[in-house]
Amino acid sequence: MIGYTVRRFGQGVIVIVAVTFITFFEAHLMPGNPARAILGVHASSAQIAAFNQENGYNHPLVVQYFDYLDRLLHGNLGFSYKQNQTVAALLGEDLPASVVLVGLSTIVALIVALPLAVLQAVRRNHPSDYTLTGASLLFYSTPTFWLGLTLIDLLAVRIHVFPPAAPQGAAVQVLAHPAGLALPVITLALVSIASFSRYMRSSMLDQLAEDYVRTARAKGVKERIVLWKHVFRNALAPLITLLGLSLPGILSGALITETVFNYPGMGLLFWNAAIAKDYPTMLGVTIVVAVATVAGSLLADLAYAVADPRVRYRAA
Amino acid sequence: MSQVAAGLEPEVTPGQEITTPAGNPWRLAAATFVENKSAVIGLVFIVLMAAFSFLGPLFYHTNQVTTNLPGSLKPPSSAHPLGTDDVGYDELGRLMLGGQTSLEVGLAAALVATFIGVAYGAISGFVGGIVDGIMMRAVDALLAIPTLFLLIYLFTVFQANVPLMILVIGLVAWLVPARLVRAETLSLRTRDYVQAVRGMGGSRRRMVARHIVPNTIGTIMVNATFQVADAIVALASLSFLGLGIQPPAANWGQMLSSGLTYVYAGAWWLIYPPGIAIVLTVMAFNAVGDSLRDAFDNRLRGR
Repeated sequence: MIGYTVRRFGQGVIVIVAVTFITFFEAHLMPGNPARAILGVHASSAQIAAFNQENGYNHPLVVQYFDYLDRLLHGNLGFSYKQNQTVAALLGEDLPASVVLVGLSTIVALIVALPLAVLQAVRRNHPSDYTLTGASLLFYSTPTFWLGLTLIDLLAVRIHVFPPAAPQGAAVQVLAHPAGLALPVITLALVSIASFSRYMRSSMLDQLAEDYVRTARAKGVKERIVLWKHVFRNALAPLITLLGLSLPGILSGALITETVFNYPGMGLLFWNAAIAKDYPTMLGVTIVVAVATVAGSLLADLAYAVADPRVRYRAA
Repeated sequence: MSQVAAGLEPEVTPGQEITTPAGNPWRLAAATFVENKSAVIGLVFIVLMAAFSFLGPLFYHTNQVTTNLPGSLKPPSSAHPLGTDDVGYDELGRLMLGGQTSLEVGLAAALVATFIGVAYGAISGFVGGIVDGIMMRAVDALLAIPTLFLLIYLFTVFQANVPLMILVIGLVAWLVPARLVRAETLSLRTRDYVQAVRGMGGSRRRMVARHIVPNTIGTIMVNATFQVADAIVALASLSFLGLGIQPPAANWGQMLSSGLTYVYAGAWWLIYPPGIAIVLTVMAFNAVGDSLRDAFDNRLRGR
């Protein structure tokens, strides 16, 4: 297990380095050259020369890449010329609010989805299974932005249950307004509930078809024990991987949710940067999001290896 | 198994070759698929939506090029069954045009993604070792950047059009089928019957092409169907944000982008028709994908 952990951690580091290749490449995709793209069309040639000097854009690409890596390792995520602040400072304000949104909605989704999925698997092909399968298919197929729009229309405009706009300010202030948090969390959770319960249902069905279930039943184990001790635990293992794999999707969903509800998180920061063509901020956020994703999938894989030792196929 | 075979036994005249469904996995899969009502409903809906989008404009003529500001934001009436939008386009006609883009981009992007993903995943999983390690770390790196963040960046830099949209969405989406096929390959290549090919002197190419990839075909087709759904959602999300294909070209997501402005004014006809069109189309593809999964999963047959 230690060998597997070290190896998997090493893979994580390699992936992060590969991500920096991608963001470095993205930076050079900027229209014209980075100086023009960042400073705008009205920048003088002296300003551009100074910018290139200051950021090392007059060096060879290899040197530029290692400079970039060096800056990242020192926690320098770039500088937003549009907002005249470091990207790290901008993220410091908005990242916690996103953590609150993503964390809360994922917890809510798991609490709702797991019991639903077990119910569906046990009552396979009964009306309750059809209804729940239909409902989860509906929400799974609903784009986050439209779900947000309809929830605003139904629960904020037509019936005034929740405020339509999210609370503003840092994470602490966000948490102080649970009513405003409700619609964004519900929006993001509904999509996750649908996806988690779909996977869990089919994972449960896969396990129920395994030989060990027949063996357990044959030797007289109570159905309740078969279900919860054998099937549920084995069915949970793939869900751990799904959680790790879902993180990028959930973060994409968070971006849309934050945009629809004007929720002051990392996704809105990224989107506002896209509108302003504030490339350094976009790339800084991308790096942070990517590191979060890699860390999430690393944790998921380690948890999976603990839950199901068969996974450590090359970890001898 | 036996009751399924018995129920599907074809009428046989003497002298005719007997082909039982059990002897023909494709036919058994097709039978299982047809038995599933939601799959048939989904498939029928996709055909109807294609007819609505591509044949509809031949019968229902609307002006989708020049704006008509005095006639904007009109609720549904006999002249405009679904009302008009904020620049005066007829919503129903626009829904048809939007459907064309959604289906074209969805299907084409899914094809691009599936083709790249299957080839990449099968090679990576079969070759294994350090090659697999490098190939999968590249996939991990691209997967680590959430799709929407990558797409938004790319379309902030590049002006979107339909072919570019297909290419970029496809090039971003091949990662998931690659991982799925690779994972199945890893497990399949150790199976006795695949090892037996090697024992009998079969080539590596034969192992992959005849024994591994055909056994992942279920996963591939299921994922390809979901890819169509995902591509339609990706296109709609980008267009909703204002980064998709620009007007007067139409798209369901773009039709909703003004919805956030008018939701407070109660212009429900701007929010619900395009939204329901997206949800039902995506649902149809997902339902077909689910049923394909059931149809291809041997263990679920006959239950």
